[in-house]
Amino acid sequence: MAAPSRGSRAAASILRRQANVCASCRTTQFLRPYSATAEAAQQAEAHRLKPHEKVPHPPATASRKAEYRIKAGVIVTRAPMLTRNLTPFENAFFFYQKRLNERLTPEFRHTLFFKENTVPDLDWRIKFNERGRVPAKELGRYFAKGRNAWNDELLVGSTLSDENRIREILLKDAESRVTEDGEEAKPDEIVKPERPMDRITEADKANDVRRLDRKMDRTLYLVVQSGNGTWSFPSDYVPTDQNLHQAAQRVLDQAAGVNMNTWMVGRVPVAHYVAEPQFNEDTTIKARGEKVFFNKVRIMAGQANLTGNTLGYKDFNWLTKEELKEKLPGPYFRAVRNMMATR
Amino acid sequence: MAARLPRRPTCALSLSSLSPQTTTTTSQQGPSAVQSQFQTRNARLIRRPRRPYLFTQLVQLSDGSTYTMRTASPHALYKSTKDTRNHVLWNPSEKSLKNVEVDEAGKLAAFRGRFGRSWDAPAPRVAEEDEGEAVDGGDVEGADGKKKEKKKAVNSEEEESDDPFGDLISRYAMKETEKGGKK
Repeated sequence: MAAPSRGSRAAASILRRQANVCASCRTTQFLRPYSATAEAAQQAEAHRLKPHEKVPHPPATASRKAEYRIKAGVIVTRAPMLTRNLTPFENAFFFYQKRLNERLTPEFRHTLFFKENTVPDLDWRIKFNERGRVPAKELGRYFAKGRNAWNDELLVGSTLSDENRIREILLKDAESRVTEDGEEAKPDEIVKPERPMDRITEADKANDVRRLDRKMDRTLYLVVQSGNGTWSFPSDYVPTDQNLHQAAQRVLDQAAGVNMNTWMVGRVPVAHYVAEPQFNEDTTIKARGEKVFFNKVRIMAGQANLTGNTLGYKDFNWLTKEELKEKLPGPYFRAVRNMMATR
Repeated sequence: MAARLPRRPTCALSLSSLSPQTTTTTSQQGPSAVQSQFQTRNARLIRRPRRPYLFTQLVQLSDGSTYTMRTASPHALYKSTKDTRNHVLWNPSEKSLKNVEVDEAGKLAAFRGRFGRSWDAPAPRVAEEDEGEAVDGGDVEGADGKKKEKKKAVNSEEEESDDPFGDLISRYAMKETEKGGKK
């Protein structure tokens, strides 16, 4: 029990420096072992709310159960489909490593790969001579065994290490320059290889926030718009006969339909949001609060379909973290942002 | 390759004074005897491991996505025909990847036109109905005529003829009669 107590002491010392935590919380929450009294924790929870609330509050002895309703929610995520773009520094670093490798490896022997006077051999020789007799395709005119081999670093502003440039060079190199007769192909005879798919899809260009093939290098999250126009993650009250994860699954099926191949990552909620209850002057409840527990769900295939959903949602979006920040109410986003990946 | 590299100066003497020395001195031995029992553990010249020349290659997966990798292959582009993007195991909900008959050239249709449908793989309905025969049902049908007949007898719903080679024989007989007519 040494490590947890040390951790709690460290946390308590951090809290001691902060002015907005009251003295009783500092001592009761951290210095006392958690298992000692559930009652104390309950008291602390009741106590914690007091400084922030302006409305009169029922005495702490009263049952707090009736003030909150428990809801189960789902955060449906689509994992990134593409790796991110490299930074210019990373590009330059990998480029430097490649040139360094040129100096350390033996020379390329094309006779080992291409039989003499075959089409691939002629093809190689044409391209090799065009590159200035450099075997590497994307490293520029760098002669690793030459007099200026030391001069391998790129200058500031050089575009040689750019990802797109390297891709274009490789695609250019992939086209066959020799006809089947073994002669050099004329420019109109060269068959170009099929272009690889673009990183930016049609959905990105049209900014279609309902499609799943947008923002391919980011994680997307499903948010729905309720009848009164507010955006949130799909959620519903937990009935007494369902567990949290069962209720979350039911919410997903009822809100977005069954035409999705999904996987619930775990039964433990990844985030929770507390909406405080509202009280009248005579300490009676005006509006009950909500405690929403979110389970994380991955979508593998399919698409959300809100037609005929029983939860009253009228629209859905697939948004990234930054877009969620603008779409969701502030406290709501702050409650869930820590479960979101950076990318 | 290695011959071109300048040889490193091997200075055994200066290095040996720096390296950790183990002495097994005893009281009887003089200083000269101590000198001869020095162990020299100087680093020898370790040759750089020979690595193949590496190119940068663009790998294109079956769905069109690409990535670059370092490889000894001198080809600039590698196109993958089967990978995780078009395999059923990784795409369980993709209907186009399910085990369906691909007959672009019409060879299977031509085969059926000539030899009938009795060579087709058994329908899953047959395997469900009598589980005892399920193992046999998985095999190539028609290889074991007796078992197939037995199964057919069990399935009264099957409208096809009892004999799997029936239509084959009848077609052959029809051709024979045609030939005979021509003659």
